[in-house]
Amino acid sequence: MRRSPVQSVKQSVFTIMSLLLLSSIQVSAIQESNIATHMKSNIDKTTDLLQNKMIEAHEKNSKIFELFDPVFDYNSMSKIALGKNWKKLSSQQRIDFKNAFTLKLKQSYIDKLQLYTDEKVIVNKTEKLKRTRIKLHTVLIGKEQDYKIVYKFHRTKINSEWLIYDVEMIGVSIMKTYRKQFSEFLSSNTFDDLIKELNKNKINN
Amino acid sequence: MKVFLILFFFTFTLYAASTPVSKYLNTTQQKIAIEDKEENSLEDEFDDEFEEEDEVSVNDPFSGYNRTMTYFNDIVYVNVLIPTSTGYSKVVPVEVRQGISNMFSNLVFPVRFINNVLQLKFDRALEETGRFLVNSTVGLLGFFDPAKSQLEWEAHNEDFGQTLGFYGVGPGPHIVLPFLGPSNIRDTVSIIPDSMLNPTSEYFYDLPMNSTNGLLLNSIYYVNKSSLHLGEYESIKKDAIDFYPFMRDLYEQNRISEIKE
Repeated sequence: MRRSPVQSVKQSVFTIMSLLLLSSIQVSAIQESNIATHMKSNIDKTTDLLQNKMIEAHEKNSKIFELFDPVFDYNSMSKIALGKNWKKLSSQQRIDFKNAFTLKLKQSYIDKLQLYTDEKVIVNKTEKLKRTRIKLHTVLIGKEQDYKIVYKFHRTKINSEWLIYDVEMIGVSIMKTYRKQFSEFLSSNTFDDLIKELNKNKINN
Repeated sequence: MKVFLILFFFTFTLYAASTPVSKYLNTTQQKIAIEDKEENSLEDEFDDEFEEEDEVSVNDPFSGYNRTMTYFNDIVYVNVLIPTSTGYSKVVPVEVRQGISNMFSNLVFPVRFINNVLQLKFDRALEETGRFLVNSTVGLLGFFDPAKSQLEWEAHNEDFGQTLGFYGVGPGPHIVLPFLGPSNIRDTVSIIPDSMLNPTSEYFYDLPMNSTNGLLLNSIYYVNKSSLHLGEYESIKKDAIDFYPFMRDLYEQNRISEIKE
C-alpha cells in the first residue's frame, strides 16, 4: 500500500517532534561541563529551602527531591550496594530492593538535612578521574569543623548524561558502607530479611 | 585508670609491631593494579571501586570486646554526654561554644605542628605556626580565629596515627576505646606521643596542674565539642543495620582518607 502524502508528512512531523523531544532531554541532562554549576544551583536552592521557615517540612522534602532525584542514579546505587548479590536476584527482587533501598537513602538524606541550620556550602572544582568518572568536591562549613563532601558522578551509557552514583562525607563512601553492611547481612540472612530490615527502619522513623 | 590504659597500650604496641606491614602494602599494590585495568564490562563497571566491600571476614580479633564497648559507650553517650551537652547548649550561646572550641584547638597546636613536620608537610607546619601566633594574640588566646577568617590560613589536623600511616604503618586490628569510641591499634598507641604534646593533658606543659583539673578540662572539651555536633550521633545510628561493624567501617574509612591527605 502506498502512503498518502498527508500520511508521510504526518510521519515526518512526528519524527521531527520526537527528535526535538529527545534533544531537549539531552539539553536538560547534566553534561560534563556543567556539573559544578548545576550542583551549585541545586545546593543553593536546597539551603534556601531549608532556611525558609514559611514552608512545611513535608513540602520542603518533596521540593528537595524534585531537585536531586534527576541527578541521583538510584539504579546504579542499588546495584553497587548489593555487589555480587545483585546477580543472584530475580528481576522482581531487584525491583523490590531498588524501591526499598531508594526510600532508605532518601530517608537518611532527609535525616541529615534536619541537622542543617545555616551552614555555608562551598562548591569547589570537579576532578576527572577517568573518561566516565568525575568527582565534585564541596565543603560544608560546620560549627566546629568543616565537612568535606564529595559527589561522585559517572557517565551513563544510555544518553551519556552524568549522574551521581556515590557520595563521600569526610572520606566515608556511603555506598561502601551499605555494600559492606549488606554483604555482611546477606552472609547470614536471606534476601527477604534484608527487604524487611530496610522497610522496618522506614516505619520506625 | 591511666595506669591501666598505659599497660593496655603497651601490650598492643607489641601486637601492632608484629603485624606485618607488607600485608598492607600488598593490598595497596593490588588496588593500584585494579585501578590500572581498562574500563570493565558493562555489568561490573563499579566493581573496581567497591569490590573490597564484598569481603565479609574482617581482621577483628577483639570483635567481642569491641561490641560490648560500643554498647557501653552508646549508653554513656545517650544517657550522659548527649543530655549534658544538650542542656549546656541551651545555656551557652553558640558563639561562645565555638570560641571555647577554638581555644582548645589553638592549645593543641603543638600536636598538629610536630605531626605535619614529621610528615614533611613543611608548608602546612608553617601555616599552623602562623595560625598559632595570630590566633593567640589578635584572636585573644585563640577564642577567635582571625587567621582563618581574615587570612584564610586553614588548620591542618594531623596526629601521630596519621604520621605512622604516612610511613606505611597499617592500622592493625580495630579496637573500641572506653568513652573515646572507635580506634585501632596504631591510633591507640599514638595517643601517648600526642598527649605528651597536648597542653590539656598532664604530660608536657602541665597546664591542668593535676589530674582532677585535667579530667575537668577534658570533660569541658568533650561536652563543648559534642554540643556543636548535636543530633549527628543519632542520625548516624539510624543508617546502621548492625551498629558496631558500621561504626568500625566509618572510622577506618575516615582514617584512610585522612592519612592520604
